[in-house]
Amino acid sequence: MQLIWNGLIVGSFYALVALGYSMVYGIIKLLNFAHGDIYMLGAFVGFFTLSAFGISNETSIPLLLVILLLSMVTTGLIGVGIERIAYRPLRKSPRLAVLITAIGVSFTLEYGVRQIFGPNPEAFPIRLESAGFDIAGVRVTASQIVLVVIAAALMLVLAHIVERTRQGRAMRAIALDPQGAQLMGVNVNRVIAIVFFIGSSLAGAAGVMAGAYYGSIDFLMGFIIGLKAFTAAVIGGIGNLYGAMLGGLLLGLLESFGAAWFGGEWRDVFAFAFLILFLTFKPTGLLGARVVERM
Amino acid sequence: MQFGSRRRSRVLQIAVAASVLALTAGCSSGLASGASADSGDGPIKFGMLAPFSGSESAFGAYMQNGAQLAVDEINEAGGVLGRQIELVVEDDACDATTAVSGANKLVTEGIVASVGGYCSGATLPTLPIFDEAGIPMVIPAANSNELVDQGLPGVFLINGTGDQQAAAAVQYAEQIGAKKVAVIDDATSYSADLADAFTAQATEAGLAVDVTATVTPGENDYSAVATQLASAKPEIVYWTGYYQEGGLIARQSADAGFEGVLMVADGSVDAKFAEIAGTGYTENVVGTFTQTPDMIEGADAWIADYTDLAGDAPGPYSTQSYDAVRVMAQAIDDAGSTEFDAVVGGLEDLTDFDTFAGPLTFTPDHTLSGGGFVIVSIDPASGVFVLEDDLQG
Repeated sequence: MQLIWNGLIVGSFYALVALGYSMVYGIIKLLNFAHGDIYMLGAFVGFFTLSAFGISNETSIPLLLVILLLSMVTTGLIGVGIERIAYRPLRKSPRLAVLITAIGVSFTLEYGVRQIFGPNPEAFPIRLESAGFDIAGVRVTASQIVLVVIAAALMLVLAHIVERTRQGRAMRAIALDPQGAQLMGVNVNRVIAIVFFIGSSLAGAAGVMAGAYYGSIDFLMGFIIGLKAFTAAVIGGIGNLYGAMLGGLLLGLLESFGAAWFGGEWRDVFAFAFLILFLTFKPTGLLGARVVERM
Repeated sequence: MQFGSRRRSRVLQIAVAASVLALTAGCSSGLASGASADSGDGPIKFGMLAPFSGSESAFGAYMQNGAQLAVDEINEAGGVLGRQIELVVEDDACDATTAVSGANKLVTEGIVASVGGYCSGATLPTLPIFDEAGIPMVIPAANSNELVDQGLPGVFLINGTGDQQAAAAVQYAEQIGAKKVAVIDDATSYSADLADAFTAQATEAGLAVDVTATVTPGENDYSAVATQLASAKPEIVYWTGYYQEGGLIARQSADAGFEGVLMVADGSVDAKFAEIAGTGYTENVVGTFTQTPDMIEGADAWIADYTDLAGDAPGPYSTQSYDAVRVMAQAIDDAGSTEFDAVVGGLEDLTDFDTFAGPLTFTPDHTLSGGGFVIVSIDPASGVFVLEDDLQG
């Protein structure tokens, strides 16, 4: 039981980041390797804002929500900016060119932040109260509950946008057939920008939550989670929203059990072994649609 | 002996090559002075590799300033062999690749001795480079047993080794009456080495090592190991990695319900540890650490000198770096030459040389005869590590 709960906590981080991965892939078939670094940026935007106001060691949840929204808007705009500057000019280029650009963007963000904030890990100024209590033999902390509630709320909002709004319909149309959508009068550039905004703000939110939950942030924190989120997106079926959520939670659980059975040093081996297994035997993932061409 | 003869022939080759270069290009003897250092003029160059960037960057300045203070003092007193000493520093970023290029750079700059090395993992690959170039090393901070296990003739450690630190950890565990212990490492050379030494010595001392775990550094979630600790309930757990993961483990294991003592090794002893762990998570944390200047009685004058030079108070490994330079200079002075075999002989012959960690005599393994480790704990008001127990009584 404890393992399941631990897995769900980590899994909700993976799911939030994987959603952005998956949405971007779904709509323009790009693996945005800079996505993990947006997560890092989210944490640093929160850190910068709070430090500017001289806040440290705070535990208030309303303040966290304010910072969360602020970071989401900022990282969302940064995401749109990245798409405009780095990806849109290359949209007609070979996929490999865009992929390499994405890696370049990733490095730019990582070492840009390192230039500004320095290489040392920083302590995040808001910490969630984390006194633990036991429910049915499971050790649960208040901060974990806050975390899961926020993550679930964000995912519900996202599902609503995609399923029930005009913009959501436009997104699904572009994912299906970009040229067809354009012929039907959908403003493709605008919708793609919106997708980047939403995906990046979710990653930014995850970054702030990671800062508040774990307490330590550094300029390379997005690297591993970016890879894990990619794995989660593949497991769930890349391009599929519910697949990304499911894949994230599933990967969290897999890691939690993997680490318990084989020891902590095998956690990543276990996670990435699943990536390879899925790519080999079921490249479309659990919920993915059949796609002919794939990077 | 084979080492020696091969080295000399190489030195000769380089010297010949360099003089040809000097003749043809008409340039100064920059290279030649490195290879045949006893040309007898100009300053004697001491090289130092230390982290000035990366996660351990805080320690680079402490080491450089400590070493520079020793250099200034020696130069003021007339230098070594009538020549001045010059300190040349390079960044190793605590990273093997950067360290190797830094070491090569130092060799081409013509250093005759190395007094650097903080991260064992970054120092290890530089050993063969300095060895081939005939440069003796007094390593001030890095202390993995692997550094001396290769038996290279020019490698000397003046920080206590993993074995000695593990001994201090086991001694403290016994002192608080622990029966069940756990050990966690982060798979780096220094950390795994220390964890192995701790496991071996704890077992020998009759303690039950219940949990041995390894975590991946740079991640945020250590709930797996935290849960393991909470269910195995060891009285003391020894974390042998660095402070970022250490702080997270302190917090997450307490949240998971672990109530024992978390003992951390010297890589985790940093003020950031308490910041990352957060308020209220540091009461059960102690550390094994080499003495820092503020823990040593009678070091006030030295601290004042250091602060004058650096504009900042000394930190971890300032004293060791200071001592490394002094030890090396003394050995060169005793040997009467900067030639490799003579300096190594000089280092091996040092007896009860006065250092911050006590009188220094090298063992045949080129390590310290006494470790000089103490137990530190976190001061709740400031979050910095302070002396808890010097393990002397």
